[in-house]
Amino acid sequence: MSEAVRPAAPRSVPFLRQPAFWIVVTLLAVGAVRISQIAALFFRAYPIATVTAIVMFGLLAVPFWLFVSELDFLEREPAGLRVLAFAWGGLVATSVSIPGSTALDNLIAKLGSPDLAAEWGAALAGPTVEEIAKTLGVVAIVLIARAQVNSVLDGIVYGALVGLGFQIVEDVVFAIGAVQQAGLGDRVQPVITTFLVRGFLAGIWSHTLFGALAGAGIGYLVVRRERGRRHRIAVAALALLGAWASHSLWNSPILRDSFGDSVPGVLAVLLVKGLPPLLLVLYLVRRAHDREAAYYVGILETVRDPELITEGELRVLGSGSRRAAARRLAAVSAGREAKVAVRLLQRAQAALAVELSRDSTAVEAGAGLVRERRAALAALGYPEAVEGARSWKHTASTVGTAVVALAVLWVALSALGTS
Amino acid sequence: MGRVTRRQLTDLPGTLGLPVALALASILAALAFGLPVLDRALPAERPVTPGEPYRVGAGVTVVPPPGATLDVTGTRPGETRGTALFRTGGVSYTIDVEPFTGNLTEAAVRLRQRITGISGHQITGTQLAVSTAGGLAGVQGGYTAGDRDGRYAVFVAQGLIIEVMVSGDDADLSTVPTTIGTLRYESHR
Repeated sequence: MSEAVRPAAPRSVPFLRQPAFWIVVTLLAVGAVRISQIAALFFRAYPIATVTAIVMFGLLAVPFWLFVSELDFLEREPAGLRVLAFAWGGLVATSVSIPGSTALDNLIAKLGSPDLAAEWGAALAGPTVEEIAKTLGVVAIVLIARAQVNSVLDGIVYGALVGLGFQIVEDVVFAIGAVQQAGLGDRVQPVITTFLVRGFLAGIWSHTLFGALAGAGIGYLVVRRERGRRHRIAVAALALLGAWASHSLWNSPILRDSFGDSVPGVLAVLLVKGLPPLLLVLYLVRRAHDREAAYYVGILETVRDPELITEGELRVLGSGSRRAAARRLAAVSAGREAKVAVRLLQRAQAALAVELSRDSTAVEAGAGLVRERRAALAALGYPEAVEGARSWKHTASTVGTAVVALAVLWVALSALGTS
Repeated sequence: MGRVTRRQLTDLPGTLGLPVALALASILAALAFGLPVLDRALPAERPVTPGEPYRVGAGVTVVPPPGATLDVTGTRPGETRGTALFRTGGVSYTIDVEPFTGNLTEAAVRLRQRITGISGHQITGTQLAVSTAGGLAGVQGGYTAGDRDGRYAVFVAQGLIIEVMVSGDDADLSTVPTTIGTLRYESHR
């Protein structure tokens, strides 16, 4: 059996009959009450700023949500569990972290000194409480739906969504804190500044990233059962430590003044502190995705039915960039409808692979949908979802997007008063 | 593809179910309630040397009120900003320093709005001029919050705002120096 994927076993006990499910539901309910109380205070004091913060950071969550949800194209996580992960981060982990981090920061001041707490409190207290509380969200999902955590990539996706939920609620709390601190009444300017700083400049390498790293460890712990328990627990602990270290480095005073306060200087600090964990998580995602893809493509190779998947489509299905290239070629060759049809065909083929991983004799269960979608594609005069040659337009578009992103970052830093 | 064995189905952590869920809830409780309990169990107040300036932050120092102790939970000195919290009897003295680009009038408006932004807090009386022992000009006023009264003062110097809040109940405030002028600021920027 492949080590990359642990196919889902049929769930023997319904959710409602699992005690763990009710414990998780209770924790979510308590978190929801606590965050609602905080939100009510915000609404009473600063209604316009609060609505603005919720809308702005809510919109910021959308691209992150779509990106993270797409990470596991071949075996998408159920929407309900994705929402659960997001809710854990936004309701439970935040409710726990607000009193916990404050108390730990105070303990650092009491057991160390106020100077130590001022300099290192944010780097030690926040990551310690928050990373544990977020990682427990992935454990909660394993507890109630272990069948849905069957690859390391699943752990990454759930961990990232827990982190995203945490990030959005924390950003709203910080935005209203900035409004209160500004002392100018119910104004939106501090919300916009917070959005630029926390959502825009720090958004890429924030809790979503740390959560993904810790989630990878839980995924490994659950899936790689050919390894001993000690080894898996050590790997999960190492992943949590990596998330903590990344978070701590980001919050730490290290390099704070090393590059000056010019735009290039601040950009350099952002990159030096944020890029290592970002690259590490991208590497883990790529590795986990490729292993999972190789497993599912291997299953589809055994079908040997070009009506279901052709040789060219097999080569495309295992790679995110090739799947996208196939959709682009369809759009160029047969229009937008063909692009959508290719995407739907790829989804059906992925679903067939997942079905076959659970029951190798169940070809016909998913084959009907694949045939239906291939017929729809053929009706558009486009019979096969294969990739085309890499075009200079796509390369130029990629480079242009990167340049525009850097320019926007530069403008944002300048707008925040960096010299 | 292989088969899922019984050992795999009973492996960590999914099928331990209830015990793991209870452990999970216990860890969360330890973080949310245990740490604050531990925090409250340890004393926060430290003695300060009488008459000696205490570094608040951003180059600003303050001579603590006579008999005051430092509350380390409200004290965070820094290079560009800082905060200090002193206590004497039931009275607390909070001094905040942070970067500020406005003038004294804007600083006073900001502090008053922050005070009235706190539920139950109201400004009382008129605002008066005040100066520090070092001659830095500022404004001061009073506020009330239910059974607690307070005084505030605000100063602007060298790109910094210095905010002082003194609060306590009537009885305690009457036994300690409540005049903001007893505090002394020295900017070493």
